[in-house]
Amino acid sequence: MSSTVFAASTGLDFPLAQQLTVVALCALTAFLSHLALAVFNDGVRPFMLDFVQGRTTRSATTAVSFGLSAGFIFGLGAPMALSSGVLNPWLLFLPTDVLGILAPEKWLAPLLGGAWGAVVVFGLDGANDLAHDLPVDFLTAMQQMATPILFLFTLFPVLAITRQFGRLRGALAGGVELALVVLTMKVWPEVFAGAPAMAVGVLLLIGFAVAKDVRQRRAERDTAAVVTSTRGQAPGDPVAGKGAASGGPGVGGTPGEVDPMVSLFGSSAARLRRHLPLFMVLGSGVCLLAQLHVFGGGEATSFLIAKGQYAEAAQVDFYRALGFIPLIATTALASGAYGIVGFTLAYPVGYLLPSPWLAMVCGALIFAGEVLALSWIGKVLGGLPSVRDSSEHLRAAIGDTLQLAILFGSLLAAEAMGGGLGILIAGGLYLLNEAVGRVVVRMAAAPAAVVVTGIILNLLHWLHLFTPVKS
Amino acid sequence: MTIILTGGVGKAEVADAVERLAPAGVEVVVCNDMDAATRLRAGRADYFLGTCQTGAGASLGVLVGLMGSAVCHTFGRSVPSEDEVNALLDQGKKVFGFAVDQIHAVTPKLAGAIAART
Repeated sequence: MSSTVFAASTGLDFPLAQQLTVVALCALTAFLSHLALAVFNDGVRPFMLDFVQGRTTRSATTAVSFGLSAGFIFGLGAPMALSSGVLNPWLLFLPTDVLGILAPEKWLAPLLGGAWGAVVVFGLDGANDLAHDLPVDFLTAMQQMATPILFLFTLFPVLAITRQFGRLRGALAGGVELALVVLTMKVWPEVFAGAPAMAVGVLLLIGFAVAKDVRQRRAERDTAAVVTSTRGQAPGDPVAGKGAASGGPGVGGTPGEVDPMVSLFGSSAARLRRHLPLFMVLGSGVCLLAQLHVFGGGEATSFLIAKGQYAEAAQVDFYRALGFIPLIATTALASGAYGIVGFTLAYPVGYLLPSPWLAMVCGALIFAGEVLALSWIGKVLGGLPSVRDSSEHLRAAIGDTLQLAILFGSLLAAEAMGGGLGILIAGGLYLLNEAVGRVVVRMAAAPAAVVVTGIILNLLHWLHLFTPVKS
Repeated sequence: MTIILTGGVGKAEVADAVERLAPAGVEVVVCNDMDAATRLRAGRADYFLGTCQTGAGASLGVLVGLMGSAVCHTFGRSVPSEDEVNALLDQGKKVFGFAVDQIHAVTPKLAGAIAART
């Protein structure tokens, strides 16, 4: 573990400038959602195409957006914010997605979004103060999350490689990573031990995927050459034809036929490019929010931000971005609506930057680059199916590692608060949520259980039935 | 032979879940959204089951854009009843998205209803 001190361990309170930033950013995100230019929820984005093209109504789209977001606002965003004391995108931007689409008039969208931002920031501030004043303080206990999150997250490339390329290469990557962790601890004790291991693991995964795609394309080119020499393009194999057409440097290519994917992607990218200045403003807002260190972008980063481990948070969110770029790019190109936080690359940059002004400039440049590169990224991804596969395996692997880390960290926090009784209540609530069919999203169930455990332990203390554990 | 394609974050798990049920007359193939769109349009596959955290983003991906929303349906994080699944299949839905943490509840219902139609 790095030598980061418990910098922010006694409660984040939000000064006025930060509160206004959150309110203004929420107003802007609701406005963009109203114009169907960007939504945070990756699941809503595919449905924005019908709305953009006028085939569906505002109220129907609002219903879709609410249906896909509500569970994540109350089941992921709210418990994560209450248990970490740090803002997160599910709590801020899912409601502004819904409110923006809901608003019947253009001017109403930013008002509703800004109002939501104010509710969150003042509400969380009050909840934080209250939590720290209680005899059993669950926010401080939640600091236990950092170690399991960081060390288990280190392993995500190994899991992704095993899922995609089998046990042998998975075991190889696992061995390499473990050796690197041990080596880093011995040679550079001041560096987070997982950092070099994660970097090498991700490079291995990308290397395997690109190698596979290049091999496959070479094989396709060989067969295509044989086919064209016998009889133009084989009509019996449209997949090969489409693959070559979207794969760039014309391998045989079917002349005269417009690939529906290419035309859909092209018009979406053009729509987004037309609104470049607005996206640059959005980018500077998102990057600024990350720079203020009151916001964690990923599922687990809130706990690292709360503990003041910004460099580690940046690493986690940077690798997480690799898993999300293909998803956000394809859904944006297929719908004409971009992601509210772009490719999420503005998060790690924001955490690391020293000044708010610099963050605003960098955020604008990042979003400009992303929007301009979107069309090109879509073409590249079309030609690299294994890389798209990798990103899916990567997201699944990140989910698996964080799942275990957050569960284990939550039980550690419960133990820090109330010993065996804490484990019993928090673990019991987690298992209960599983038994009733996961009302709370699995990732947030354990932290939510810790918050409830904290409240129960405080009640027991008040009834003289429980003495707080001294750490 | 009815061909079901799987895609999204839990594509391998969904394919496993379908295979474990071993419904007669159904073949399951692990795929991705872009390939699936091409195969469905060419009539070389019949259904697509996609999974992700929300049940719609990575699950459906480009399919709504390329196939049209009329044949796509997302269950989000909810678990449908058998009647609901049958009603959707009657409407001609071919592309289904659902949440990765509900795979074990949703997959058997979908696979069973599809197999009953072969």
